[in-house]
Amino acid sequence: MSIVIKQATLLDLPEIMKLETASFANDAWPEETFRSELGANHTFYILALEGDELVGYAGLSKLPGSDQADIQTIAVREDKRGLGIGRLLMNSLTQQATDLDAKEIFLEVRADNSIAQKLYKLFGFKQIGTRKKYYQPDGVDAFIMKTDLKLKKNKEPIVLGIETSCDETGVGIVRGNTLLANIISSSMDKHAIFGGVVPEIAARAHLEALTPVLDEALEKANLTLDDIDAIAVTNGPGLAGALMVGVGAAKALSVATGKPIYAVNHLVGHVGADILDRGELQTPTIALLVSGGHTSLLLVRDLLNDVELLGETIDDAAGEAFDKVARVLGLSYPGGPEIDRVAKEGNPAAIRFPRGLTLPKDMEKHRYDFSFSGLKTAVARHVELAESKNEEISIADVAASFREAVVDVLIKKAVSACEDFGVPRLLLGGGVVANARLREVAKEHCEANGIELRIPPFSLCTDNGAMIAIVGSQLIMAGRAPSTLDFSAESTLPVTTVQS
Amino acid sequence: MKTSAASTRMGGYSLAIDTSAGTTVAVLSMGTVLAELNYLEPMTHSERIGSAIQKVLNDAGLKPNQIDTVVAGVGPGPFTGLRVGLAAARYFAIGSGADLVSVCSLDSIALDFYQANPTAKNLVVTTDARRKEVFWASYSGVVNGIPQRTHGPSVNKEQDIGSFIDLASHESTELGVRAGALGQIAFAQGLSAQGANKDITPIYLREPDAVPSKGKKVSG
Repeated sequence: MSIVIKQATLLDLPEIMKLETASFANDAWPEETFRSELGANHTFYILALEGDELVGYAGLSKLPGSDQADIQTIAVREDKRGLGIGRLLMNSLTQQATDLDAKEIFLEVRADNSIAQKLYKLFGFKQIGTRKKYYQPDGVDAFIMKTDLKLKKNKEPIVLGIETSCDETGVGIVRGNTLLANIISSSMDKHAIFGGVVPEIAARAHLEALTPVLDEALEKANLTLDDIDAIAVTNGPGLAGALMVGVGAAKALSVATGKPIYAVNHLVGHVGADILDRGELQTPTIALLVSGGHTSLLLVRDLLNDVELLGETIDDAAGEAFDKVARVLGLSYPGGPEIDRVAKEGNPAAIRFPRGLTLPKDMEKHRYDFSFSGLKTAVARHVELAESKNEEISIADVAASFREAVVDVLIKKAVSACEDFGVPRLLLGGGVVANARLREVAKEHCEANGIELRIPPFSLCTDNGAMIAIVGSQLIMAGRAPSTLDFSAESTLPVTTVQS
Repeated sequence: MKTSAASTRMGGYSLAIDTSAGTTVAVLSMGTVLAELNYLEPMTHSERIGSAIQKVLNDAGLKPNQIDTVVAGVGPGPFTGLRVGLAAARYFAIGSGADLVSVCSLDSIALDFYQANPTAKNLVVTTDARRKEVFWASYSGVVNGIPQRTHGPSVNKEQDIGSFIDLASHESTELGVRAGALGQIAFAQGLSAQGANKDITPIYLREPDAVPSKGKKVSG
């Protein structure tokens, strides 16, 4: 599904009326009313189109000289509801209201339409009154709702982002789409002897790093907390105990400074990182996020409104597989860079390790999912078998062949997602992007298939606060209301929840 | 306007935060509690902490920048929850420009106990440390508003505490941690010769639960 929002004209009236009468059983507007609405110069009507088909519309009224705007109507075709089309329409209307210098938007909604009310609340609307029996002939009350556009006047908000979802404590600062500071303190060294991230060690390190990382970020950006317009914080997915450190800190900072707070999805942050690199995110894009904690393939049609999880690992994350195989080969932690180093001298075709979830029967159910657990076991068996026979193995060949198997599956599935969905872009993110072979193979396959490859600089690919801040600034610029103070840290937050 | 660091110890407003058990926050003026909030459930710290701080400030009629000192309960307590309050205390202090001091969370239980039982002598305070152990400390009384710790804080099996202190001569209590009491202790410590405790390191008492991996065979 690909939805285009465009401005409505009088020519669209017949199609609009079809949807109007189907959507509003007893209180549809007569055609004449709609004609004068469309023709008026103080109104702004938009359509949501899927291909040539009208699937929704919405309208805003804003009289010149007034600083109030009204949402006149919004409708989404019945079979297309719940897909985010309403959000796209609302997004466009609130942006238009902001551009027209409105300070507040009003609307009326049927008291019995809780789905619409939920949508409006997402955009900061609050009920301010009731009109008794407003909708006739049904005799249903109307709720009057209002949202303030104060923050939205800020075209380039300065946002401080806090990230503590795994083993990196990050504080970043952005102004609009511009990166001002990105400070990261990693506890990676402390996990080395354990061969993987120990959640309790990571959480302890976050608490210690909070203050120095914040101080350094403010210094780097040459700002004080007074200059900050809003705070953004990762509330998931990630390690629960680690997330809670950032969430607790961010909430207290919000209360202490009176700045609004935005709870942001970590994975969406990885996608947003591209904005930091080139000032915008081109959509639609497929995003492949590969780290020690995640292996996710996303279809991003719109960063704030339409991020879809196509697939993810069903067992180990790719970075985790690198760590575990490094241990089997007697290499140190983290495994990715070590395997990359050793593999340089090896033959990637020496051993044919299994490619997880690529057999036809698996592809039916797990077309975009990944599995690295079997691969890791295959490497261990290979090494142990050789040891039991007292045979010499080439660590370089094993490392190169293992790396090839991982990279092969990752890139092939990502590229086939690009083809399946007709998306000409692939964005890479996550710490495993540091892997030289992954970048090389991605480049080859993308070039061969006419796909544009985006790889932000490594400091923006690993977990960091700036990518959280940039999602925060996008939310503000799109007119989203801040999160309320009682959101929780959610270790399994779905990628469809961009803001909690 | 802020008063200088030296005079904040003598008075002003403080915000006390503790998440070593439930979530408890309080606002005090010169060691007197103006507002306090106690959530007893042990799991909702990160959800509660922001609005809890907001609420006690509202209840006390204060703005964040009127707070001169943040008092952090540094435990001991289950780590994940404990850290939420400590993270909040650190960033609230930075955001409001307040000083940051600490008090052992168990001391607040002792203060409340002696205030309710002025004639009591020795006290042992225990809280749940999970894994069939308890965090504990023992006290001999309160001097100038400061509970006098004789042992601990430590973590042990409850039945082993008797090997450190004479349990027969110690009373025990069911009271819990209270931020208002923490704030009172910090105020009293600020008046003492030693001053308030500036060390805000959490009292973990246990190392992280991880052992270096030896690697195991996968083929049998």
